[in-house]
Parts: sequence; C-alpha cells; structure tokens
Amino acid sequence: MSHLTDEQLEEIIQGDNSASEHLVECQLCKERLAEKRALADRLKLAFSKVEMAGQLEQRIRSGLGLNSRMSPEPKIKILNFRAHWKSISAIAAAAIILIVAVPVSMRLMAPALAAQAQLAQIHEHNMSGNHEFHSEADPAKLAEYFKGKLGFIPSMPTPGRGLALRGCCIRHFRGKVVGSYVVETPEGIVSVIVVTDTPKSMGMKRKDQTFWEGSFAKCEMVTVSLDGFSYCAVGEVSHEYLTDLLSQLLPDSPE
Amino acid sequence: MTDKHEFESIAMPYMGAMYKFAYALCGNSDNAQDLVQDTFLKAFEKFKSFDKGSNCRAWLAAIMRNKWIDQLRHNQVTGQILPLEHDIAAKPAQNETEWSDCRDFLEKFSDEQVIKALLTLGEEQRTTLFLIDVEQLSQDDVAKIMDVAVGTVKSRTSRARSALKNELIGYAKEMGYAGGEK
Repeated sequence: MSHLTDEQLEEIIQGDNSASEHLVECQLCKERLAEKRALADRLKLAFSKVEMAGQLEQRIRSGLGLNSRMSPEPKIKILNFRAHWKSISAIAAAAIILIVAVPVSMRLMAPALAAQAQLAQIHEHNMSGNHEFHSEADPAKLAEYFKGKLGFIPSMPTPGRGLALRGCCIRHFRGKVVGSYVVETPEGIVSVIVVTDTPKSMGMKRKDQTFWEGSFAKCEMVTVSLDGFSYCAVGEVSHEYLTDLLSQLLPDSPE
Repeated sequence: MTDKHEFESIAMPYMGAMYKFAYALCGNSDNAQDLVQDTFLKAFEKFKSFDKGSNCRAWLAAIMRNKWIDQLRHNQVTGQILPLEHDIAAKPAQNETEWSDCRDFLEKFSDEQVIKALLTLGEEQRTTLFLIDVEQLSQDDVAKIMDVAVGTVKSRTSRARSALKNELIGYAKEMGYAGGEK
C-alpha cells in the first residue's frame, strides 16, 4: 500500500477529504496525521496567550486619527497630522512633563515614544555645553571628527545665509552610537541626529520627499531618509523650518 | 462610509491577530509593536487598493511580511541583526519514541518553549507554519502572501512542522524527558 505524502496530509489538515478512505485503512498515515494535527493545535494554543499591550491600539488609533476606544494614557503625539496638531499638543504637553520628571517611566513608554524622548534629550544635552561636545564651526573639521568616530561623514548644511555650525558629538540612541551636530539658525538652535532606525509614523510628502514629523515637550522634530540613514532635526522651531533645513541636505529634487 | 470608518470596521479588528504574527516574526514585544504600527499605517495608506470582498487578514499579513523583509534588508545594509534565512529541509526526525502519544508529549512544554522553538525556524518556514496553523489561512492565501506556488506552501508547511518537532525533541532531551532508544 502506498502511503499518503506529507503534502496530502497537509491538504487533509486544510479540510480536503479526498484521501479519507486511505486513512480508514492505514494506521501509519492516521498516526502521521494525528501528529501533525497535534503540533498545529499546540502551536495555536501557545499563541492564544500572546496578547498585545492595550497602548498599542491607542497608539495606532491616535496615529490614524481614529476615535479612541480606551481611556487616553499619558503620551505624546507620535504621528503628526498637521490638522490635528493644535488640539493634541496641549494634552500631550501635560503628559510629557510627567514623563520627563520620572525618567524610569521612559523604559515603560512605547518604543516610538521613547525614541522621540531620547532625541529630545540628545538635543537638550547638545545645548547644555557639556564636555563631550566638540565645538567647531568648520565643516571640514566636523567631517573629519565624524569620519574618525563614526566611519562616515553625515550630510551637513552649508554655512551662510544665517546658518552656522556650532559643533558635534557622538551620542547613544536606542543602544547604538550615533552622530549629532548642531546648527545655529535664525529661528533657533537645531540638533541634527543621524540614526540608522527608520521613522515610525506616517510620512508627509513635500518637495517630492517624505518627511516624518513629531514632537516632544517643547521640541519639534522632522526626519528625512538619506543614504540609508535617518536625519532627525530637533529644536524649538517650527516643523516647516526644520523641513526646510533638512531639505538642504538632500540632493536637488527634479523640477 | 468614509475610508477611515471602513478601515476601522474592516482592518482594525485584526490588530490582535497581526500582533501575534508580528511576534512570530520578530520574537520580541518591542519590535512586534513597532511592526504592527508600521503595518497598520501602511495598510491605511493603501486601503483604497484593498478589495473589500477579499480576506483582510491575509492582506494585512502580506503587508506585514513585506515590511518585515524590508526591515531585515535595511538592517543588513546598516550592519545590524539577522540575515534573511532561506528555506531549508528539516533534519530527519531524531527520535520517534516520544511521539507515540504526541498530544501528551506536547503538553510537557510551556507556551514560551513552543514559541521559542518556532522562532528557531527560518523565516519562510516560520511564517508559513504560523499563517497556516495559527492564523488558519488557506494554502492559497499563504501562497499569495509568500509569493510562491501552492505546492511550495504544502511542502514548506510539512518541513516546518518536522523542524518544529525536532526542535521540541531537543528541548525534551534537555529537560530529561527524552533520549532513550526505542
């Protein structure tokens, strides 16, 4: 008697009964099928207890602009839809103060939120004039510093027209070493942090390029992808200005 | 009904299922949450192209898998984690003895061990087995998600099941439940 193939047994598990006669007669195939079914059932049972955190649904709903089903948790806006920003930011600001005041809660935050908080912290650290900061206004020297520390030279805006480089430093972001430089602009001081992570929000198309926007405490953030890295501009300036600043890093868009 | 409302009623109910799939792909909660978020944002962007009569769970799973593959590729480029794994044949069963009453045998394992065993499989086998057994998608749907022939799904499911079994036998030996000769 020829036995059922593994593929035929898989079809039976899917509900195909064409080989059921053979199973009546063949104990071996019956056992093989029982084993496959037992494994399938055990796997399903194991995953039945894997449940997502309630905050995830809230994050996604808020990002999509859908009505909340749950009581809102203290969180900041992670997905910036410009039309909703004004109303959301006031609520977010109150929550952020709590988060910043209790650093341990950072570890409990959703990853995307924690990432934004970390970016804001890096900016704050850059502004504090600490000893790790490499003060330098010459782009060539900054490039040399990055080459030595990171192995590559991030794209930087050309000084002039009100822009001046202030310096740079190496920081840690989500456990990885990243580079950051500071630009003095007519609107305020901006840190640009170059990370390997990808943005976690819905991007907004502008000037043929996708920009991701976010906010944390007083900081606004805009991110753009360039050469396999994400360039995050962070500062107490408008999203529009940050977008314009990052646009200077990009290759010329086609007209 | 607006797109937003349709998306809420058609796609959002699958968020829990998609989290399980993300967990099966990533193997940890943090990355799984990020992947679910990315997937739903992408799905919302593409929702106009979703055929409303088709299987939304399968559509979301396809988006999620593509996102995951993109992430793996990106991480390869930037020197982080995980190679893309290829479908490999399962090793022959190591010891058939313990499987004489497989349901009893499988009860010896915790859920975490079963999931851990699944996570040791290559991405193609792991995804196929998860979508067939846990999500209970049809072989046709899985073939579309994985962009392979239905026959490939059948053989891959079977090989994945054998590989999962072998992994569990290995755990059983470590736990002292198995190892004797027939």
